[in-house]
Amino acid sequence: MPKKPDQPEGLTRRELGRFVGASIGLAWLTPLTGCGELWERQPVIPVDSWNKGVCRFCGTGCGVMIGLKDNKVVDVKGDDEAHNRGRLCIKGLATRDILYSEGRALYPMIRKDGELRRASWDDAMTLVAQQFKQAIETHGPDSVAYYGSGQLYTQESYTANKLFKAGIGTNNVDGNPRLCMASAVTGYTTSFGKDEPAGCYEDIDHAECFFITGSNTLECHPILWERVRDRTRSRPNTKIVLVDPRKTFTARHADLYLPIYPGTDVSLYNAMIHVFLEQQFIDSDMVEHYLSFQEGEQKRTFEAFKRHIAKYTPEAAAKTCGVTPRSIREAAFLFASSKATMSLWTMGLNQQVEGTASNRLVIAMHLLTGHIGRPGATPFSLTGQPNACGGVRDTGSLAHALPNGRLVANPKHREEMEDLWKVPRGRISPKAGYHAVALFEAMNRGAVKCCFVACTNPGQTLPSVSTYREGMQKAFLVVVDAFHPTETTKFADVVLPAALWVEKEGVTGNAERRYHLYPKLVDPPGEARSDLAILVELADRLGHGDLISARTPKNVWDEWRKVSAHSKYNFEGITYERLEKERGLLWPCPTETHPGTKRRYVPGEDPMAAGTGRFDFYGKPDGRATVWLDHQEDVLDPYTDEFPLIFNTGRILEHWHTMTITGPVPSLQGIHPDYLEIHPYDAHQLQIKEGDPVVVRSRRGEVELKARLTDIVRPGMVFATMHSAGHLVNQATHDVYDPFSKQPAYKRCAVAVRRKTV
Amino acid sequence: MRTLRVAGQLMPHRRSIILLLAAILMEVWLAASPAWAVETHGRWSQLDILRWLGIAAAVGGILLLVLVQHVYRKKLRHGTYRRLLLIGLFVLPMIVTWTTTKTVMEGTKSVQACMSCHVMHPFVNDMENPSSPTLAARHYRNNWIAKDQCYSCHVTYGVTGTVEGKRDGFRHWLYYVTSTYADPIQYAGSYDNSNCLDCHRGTAKWDRVKSHQALAAEVAADRIACIACHGPPHPLPSERQTMANRSTGERDARTEHAD
Repeated sequence: MPKKPDQPEGLTRRELGRFVGASIGLAWLTPLTGCGELWERQPVIPVDSWNKGVCRFCGTGCGVMIGLKDNKVVDVKGDDEAHNRGRLCIKGLATRDILYSEGRALYPMIRKDGELRRASWDDAMTLVAQQFKQAIETHGPDSVAYYGSGQLYTQESYTANKLFKAGIGTNNVDGNPRLCMASAVTGYTTSFGKDEPAGCYEDIDHAECFFITGSNTLECHPILWERVRDRTRSRPNTKIVLVDPRKTFTARHADLYLPIYPGTDVSLYNAMIHVFLEQQFIDSDMVEHYLSFQEGEQKRTFEAFKRHIAKYTPEAAAKTCGVTPRSIREAAFLFASSKATMSLWTMGLNQQVEGTASNRLVIAMHLLTGHIGRPGATPFSLTGQPNACGGVRDTGSLAHALPNGRLVANPKHREEMEDLWKVPRGRISPKAGYHAVALFEAMNRGAVKCCFVACTNPGQTLPSVSTYREGMQKAFLVVVDAFHPTETTKFADVVLPAALWVEKEGVTGNAERRYHLYPKLVDPPGEARSDLAILVELADRLGHGDLISARTPKNVWDEWRKVSAHSKYNFEGITYERLEKERGLLWPCPTETHPGTKRRYVPGEDPMAAGTGRFDFYGKPDGRATVWLDHQEDVLDPYTDEFPLIFNTGRILEHWHTMTITGPVPSLQGIHPDYLEIHPYDAHQLQIKEGDPVVVRSRRGEVELKARLTDIVRPGMVFATMHSAGHLVNQATHDVYDPFSKQPAYKRCAVAVRRKTV
Repeated sequence: MRTLRVAGQLMPHRRSIILLLAAILMEVWLAASPAWAVETHGRWSQLDILRWLGIAAAVGGILLLVLVQHVYRKKLRHGTYRRLLLIGLFVLPMIVTWTTTKTVMEGTKSVQACMSCHVMHPFVNDMENPSSPTLAARHYRNNWIAKDQCYSCHVTYGVTGTVEGKRDGFRHWLYYVTSTYADPIQYAGSYDNSNCLDCHRGTAKWDRVKSHQALAAEVAADRIACIACHGPPHPLPSERQTMANRSTGERDARTEHAD
């Protein structure tokens, strides 16, 4: 058949166009055919939805994205938009498993004939209310107590605090933050008049020198450590000075490492200030306009301060601390001469008899050299729990405190809170309650009859724990926990099952004053309930239902942020709507349009700071921050021929606290923390070989561990972790505490070690 | 119209010839495109040889066809004419096809090839920034990966890896030219950890981290990405936005060099 020239065989341009168009269209439809894998990489763990949340574990408060499938948490990853820039540590990654672990408490239990037996919620709560009422009627309100946690949500700690202080009328409200953060609180409040750090995480991105003391940041705050490393990777001239008795993983990255003896911090910091004075590193503008000096109750002059410091020469301190004078001088030089120095510290500073003094001396080093209030220059205390700051410190859920930095001892503060809580004047007791160690000691004596323990494990964590187990046995102990059994539920008369993490909704405040929201995404297992619901029911049954009128997480938050407006903590502007949208906000944040405050006390940045000066330390009546004259005290529990070694306790990266949550996680079960680090020199003398079973004996008790020979510890020092319930290191630790903060000194006691003869 | 008639014995019509010539020209252009130039530090790489071979074949083929058809047509015997046409229309174009395919397959491994889409600029700029703390930048400045840095970490080992890689590249290109991608761009699916593990697993640094042992199975199954702890590999969406707002020609002031 003859072809027309304008109708050739093959493809016309139009047909070609159609063909290409159809191909692209089909390619786009490939995922719909179920052959998506052929077209695009697929996630290994399929999810239905991703939801914004926050990690369950430490005080860093990393943002997470939580993947749900069929109403279960199946995957968790870091939130790119949060401060952690999408990173999580192994514990954060483990959050996808924690809800479904073995050992969740599923129903209420009542102890009958020495055994915990399943009971209904009604029976359990009836018994709790009856016991509490009876104790209050017979022995007065101070015979009952609440022992809370830096892991409860802010709404829960706030409600418990209000119920006990303004309802029942006792200040016996304390909790585990006393064991970890109390010295940081007294350090900040005695220096600035207000608790909580002045700086924020973003300062890490601007610092030129990091002074890290009493912190194994790499293992205990790994995500903040990565941020520090990001800074040193970007600016290789950034220096890291590390002060720690152990040569930890963190020490491997330090430019200068000072392995001081535990409990000698005061000498070291005083000696560093000595060098600041000697080398003219003192910021005279700070001294003239923004600082005051104090020793005990007495005001002092700068001249008196200089005379006090004169005693602490680097040479003298070097002997006390077990380091060289040269390293002290170098540390002081690096600290003072950098453009911006940031200090980071945590339990190493806080958990010692001179915890408060150590905290305020680190702050004083910043104040005296002017390394504060600028990007990168700040003294910054790291926190161990997700809500010790927001939930306990800010709400004042401690025996001596009232919300927003108020004190039980101050009549004006009590009146303010009575008015805000709408209770009659005089309802709040003027007597400070029992702090943690004193509370359990009171239970030993029989002074406290009933104790409501929520979300913490004092049966394992108290120092010299055997001493206090008797009291836990004696008192009527109500334990609310997501896990059972624990070392505390062993002694419980009633166990109430609690919801965990995203099984309930709430707000927490992390180490940098950032409030952020945990959404409720899944239902709790069995009959478990949120701690807030349990506290509300307790209030109802104790006849304080009217006082606890806010009953949902949102309503409690609204009440709380409005209470905060009457203080310098003002975060009224952090509304629920903003929390749902944003990756948290840093207080002070007084209005709904305020972006939050990165650096406190700086006029222009901090909405609470007045004037146009460099600083307004509004926590102090004279607007000046206080530098304290603190003395190195003799160490308690000295080492002798009988107890020749120093015992130190701490943590590892993979586990958290008493392992109730991390212990059952499958991927973490291969990580065993039951070992004693001992230097080969000491091991040689004691004829101990790697892996030998050893007994650590102190003046209070013994603990069995396996020897691990390592030069991480110095000769003369041994170390064990506080994690495992299998071997309670706190049977050996000393229950002395800081006289100001009442925080126990877990980091130092004298022990003897011997090989266990089989 | 003798030309057309004779040519018509081989090819159905003139339009097809024009299409074929256009295709050849396109391939020449692709092969010579400076976007895929690979740095060879003054030496001739295999890629250069292939590229120039392809160009020579293409130019030679066109020249041959023009000469055979328009200049020497009458002077050639019929057999020679057919053979030369065969060379000009099939043999040389096949060489061109082979070399250009090879050039494209190899050339698209280069950082410059990835950089040819402007959405990739923030990633490459960050990688080349000696002060950046991202994983990509650290691998780049320390020379841990000597060349084809994007490809090395984004294409899995083995033949399936290559196929996946080319498919991904094709998909990206398709989305890009049709402007049907969502901004900010996201990595699709789970990252293949073997790209990290092939170098890092078993090193002393790897072994001393207990978390690695604890997560070994999860990491091997890609259920947990290495970058979950060690990221971010590239600037995050918000940071990319900041970088994109800067003028594209202007790079960061690089006064400091990091290790």
